[in-house]
Amino acid sequence: MPRNNYQTTFTSDSASRRIKVLKIVILVALGIILLRLFCIQIIEHGAWVAKADEQHTLLETITAKRGEIYMLDHGEPVAVVLNQTTYQIVIDPTVTEKEDIEYVINTFAKDYAVADLDEVYNTEGLRYSIVAKNIPRATAEKIAEAGVPAIWLKKTNQRVYPEGQLASGLLGFVNDEGEGQYGTEGSLNKELAGEDGLIKATADVNKVALSIGNDNVKIPAMDGENIVLSVDRSLEQGVEELAQSAIDSTAATNASVLIMDPNTGKVITMANLPNYDPANYIEVTDASAFVNYTTEVPYEPASICKSFAFSAAINEGKMTADTTYFNQHYTIVDDWKIENAEQRDMLYGTISMKTALYWSLNTGSIQALRLLGGDPNQITQQGREKLYDYYYNKFRLGQITGIELVEAEGYIEDPNEGWGRDSTYANMTFGQNLGITMIQTATAFSAVVNGGYWRTPSIVAGTLQDGQVVPIESSENKIEDKILSDETSAMMRDMLIYNRGYRVTAGIDRPGYDVGGKSGTAQVIVNGAYDNSFSQLVGSYIGFVAPSGELPKYVIMVKMWGEGQGIGSGDAMDLFDKLSNYIIDYQKIKPGV
Amino acid sequence: MNRKHKSDLVILFATLGLMALGLIVIYAIGPMRANVLNSTYGTDYDSNYFFWGQLRAVALSTLAFFAAFKWIPYQHLKKIAKPLMIIALALSGLLWVMSLMGSSLVKCELGECRWFDIGGASFQPAEFLKLALVIYLADFLARKKEEGLVGQFREFWLPLLAVGGLSLLLVVVAQGDLGTGVAIITIILGMLLISGVPLRQYLLVLAIILVGAIGAVAFSGHRMERVDAWLTTLTGGESTDSTYHVDNAMLAIGVGGLTGVGIGNSVQATGYLPESINDSVFAIMGETFGFVGLFLVIAVFAALLLKMLKVAEYAPSDESRIFVVGVFSWTLAQVVVNIMAMTGLVPVTGITLPLLSYGGTSMVFIAFALGLVLQLSCYTSREVNVKNENISSRRRVGGPHHTSRRRSS
Repeated sequence: MPRNNYQTTFTSDSASRRIKVLKIVILVALGIILLRLFCIQIIEHGAWVAKADEQHTLLETITAKRGEIYMLDHGEPVAVVLNQTTYQIVIDPTVTEKEDIEYVINTFAKDYAVADLDEVYNTEGLRYSIVAKNIPRATAEKIAEAGVPAIWLKKTNQRVYPEGQLASGLLGFVNDEGEGQYGTEGSLNKELAGEDGLIKATADVNKVALSIGNDNVKIPAMDGENIVLSVDRSLEQGVEELAQSAIDSTAATNASVLIMDPNTGKVITMANLPNYDPANYIEVTDASAFVNYTTEVPYEPASICKSFAFSAAINEGKMTADTTYFNQHYTIVDDWKIENAEQRDMLYGTISMKTALYWSLNTGSIQALRLLGGDPNQITQQGREKLYDYYYNKFRLGQITGIELVEAEGYIEDPNEGWGRDSTYANMTFGQNLGITMIQTATAFSAVVNGGYWRTPSIVAGTLQDGQVVPIESSENKIEDKILSDETSAMMRDMLIYNRGYRVTAGIDRPGYDVGGKSGTAQVIVNGAYDNSFSQLVGSYIGFVAPSGELPKYVIMVKMWGEGQGIGSGDAMDLFDKLSNYIIDYQKIKPGV
Repeated sequence: MNRKHKSDLVILFATLGLMALGLIVIYAIGPMRANVLNSTYGTDYDSNYFFWGQLRAVALSTLAFFAAFKWIPYQHLKKIAKPLMIIALALSGLLWVMSLMGSSLVKCELGECRWFDIGGASFQPAEFLKLALVIYLADFLARKKEEGLVGQFREFWLPLLAVGGLSLLLVVVAQGDLGTGVAIITIILGMLLISGVPLRQYLLVLAIILVGAIGAVAFSGHRMERVDAWLTTLTGGESTDSTYHVDNAMLAIGVGGLTGVGIGNSVQATGYLPESINDSVFAIMGETFGFVGLFLVIAVFAALLLKMLKVAEYAPSDESRIFVVGVFSWTLAQVVVNIMAMTGLVPVTGITLPLLSYGGTSMVFIAFALGLVLQLSCYTSREVNVKNENISSRRRVGGPHHTSRRRSS
């Protein structure tokens, strides 16, 4: 006990005053804290929640599985473009230890490394880096088992092509961003890609979704459709081989072949040679290698178009195969002398339209235009308008056909505007002064020979669902338009078969089959004018194959060309000859009576 | 010595209640902490690892609390005040030497070596140092007061300066533990205030410490950075890496709103908020229990602190009064500095919230100290040992519970 009362009293009094000070200290300090908490938790609550949402919300897309592409093989679907799951290694250089990632790369993924780690780690502020790519599943599993921290494996999809380069121009490829480019991959990208799903969730600091939170959203991915093309795989392969050997044996560098069923519009072969390797599309230096020449490039199919001009005049009742005119090897239109390529003497004089078509005389098709206009001596406005009506409105030349691929429109000149309309339209009767694609030409030609029906071409048989090919419900867009009479079509078939009489004689067209066709050798426009030196030509041939006395089963169109090369229709016809026989054998078409 | 009566129930239940609350919070967020550490650093913590750790700490602390309350009479403890202080300083010194030698028995985190690690059990000598300091200073200050030497330079200030300076050197300089440094300074200031140091001298000391603190901050890069970050936060500036900790603490508290997101629904604990189970547990509690919850937690701390002051006021002796104020200052420093850091009112120093934060050593020692205060609460006098004091004003502060208890004893 205190020995000095006075001092104790004094001190204790002072102590209790000082304890009061401490009480005030507590109350003030805790009061300030409560005020601050009230401010943060009650007044600013909304702002902090908004800030938290921004920080905690994870938005992640669930990548939809891209659909595969199939062809048919005698009616059975076979895959030509498949998916393979591969993995990427992703690191965050601010979290991932450099030794860790070096260990993983060196131990498992040396062959797949795509980044220079020194550079990655020296890049200021880098939080995301893909350091290895295309790692197969088995290797990725080993990496995952190694359990190295802060190394993420990201699943990616890779396209594989079991048929190699087959039909690459038709199929296209998928780029690094997962977008379909060119061909079917490009035109049907939406259907193949499907729709990505979405995860919106509250996530922890490592971006792992938590079960906390009420507004978590999960929209499942809609996988892409498996597309089945109407193209027959083995036929495509056989055709490509024949086309390649045609290229090898001529001056041509390119060949495109289109085979379709004229009665349905189904395309069963679409070849563009040379092919490229879609798995290594990145190594292709010239983008023209990706082009599908059958649908994307308008050109002048030349004398093939005489079939269309003749059909128009016949269908209008203005002429028949036996209608005659006087051929003097040339004719004058708009003071412009248009000559026939074939100048032999036996053709000078009065000849039939059938003969004119056989020898592919320009004077014959111009005469058809004159007859169409009602005046055998001159081209009239009515003739031009009629031809335009047939070309553009009925045969739909210069219009997109509606096939499920990227198409070019091309062009058909207006019948009444601009100068030199007559010479332009005279040229159009033999397939110059216009721009049309192979698919437009083959579809129009199908109408000429199939009884007069223009049908929207298609190359998609349907989608593959549970092993079954299910047709796509888009038939409302399909057009079936009777544009020529049965008689016109029959007359045209006869003339086209007559055209190939010498192929029958030569033993190329077999007995029991009606094979008809028309050639076309187009001059190429160089610097805005036709190159009259004929040093560069594009050779085309179109024809059909039918059992004798029946409607055609297939229409085959061939186009061959080479930069600076004069490829005549002869080369194209030689390939057609091989293809017509090949398809008879391949499809086992029975001969008619 | 006064007659023994029943202990103070507020101190008893506040201490036990806070420990139980801490256990619940760690139970809820421990798995998240384990998950974050496992996925970020490849560790292999069981999801209940931190809960078991906290349960062990709470069990040990409860034991320490009751041991101090029932079995270790303060009168005996004060006799070994000096050896305790020497041992505490020696342990901190030993830690420093061993850490300089790179001993495997020293555990370091983020470059600061503050723990002994013996067979997986860690021990933080700085926590022991705070307890020893309170016991030692209570004895020292009371003795000087009795001898009438308070305020004398050679007999009073010099030894005080030696002990305080050495403690700060070992904690702040050697261990880089600014938080404990702040606690030590608060403890010394609190105990000095009550030991009867002349006001002018006291204010002078306060001024010197303030200047010293500003100087220390200004001359230390990372401390300046913290202050800078704090000023940025306080003034609502752009957030940077330095402000990340306090930004996320305030975010957690702000999200909590009035009533909180509920147990187990804290998102900030899933890795966004650093030290979520240790120094930042208050912020997680803010997110979980909201303003209402934090208000209650603060009310419990306020009750505990006020009760300690009451015990000090009615303490049976100068020395026990100074001791209780020491424990009070210790608790106050940790509570106020921790919470103010979490709410952006002061810079982040890295200080635990007593009884709530995860961590064995700090909880055990403060529980032990509170146990001693509880013990002393059994010996408060009927009358304040002050003669010219207005009794009625005392009563008013004391409240009915204390009064009735005194009557019953």
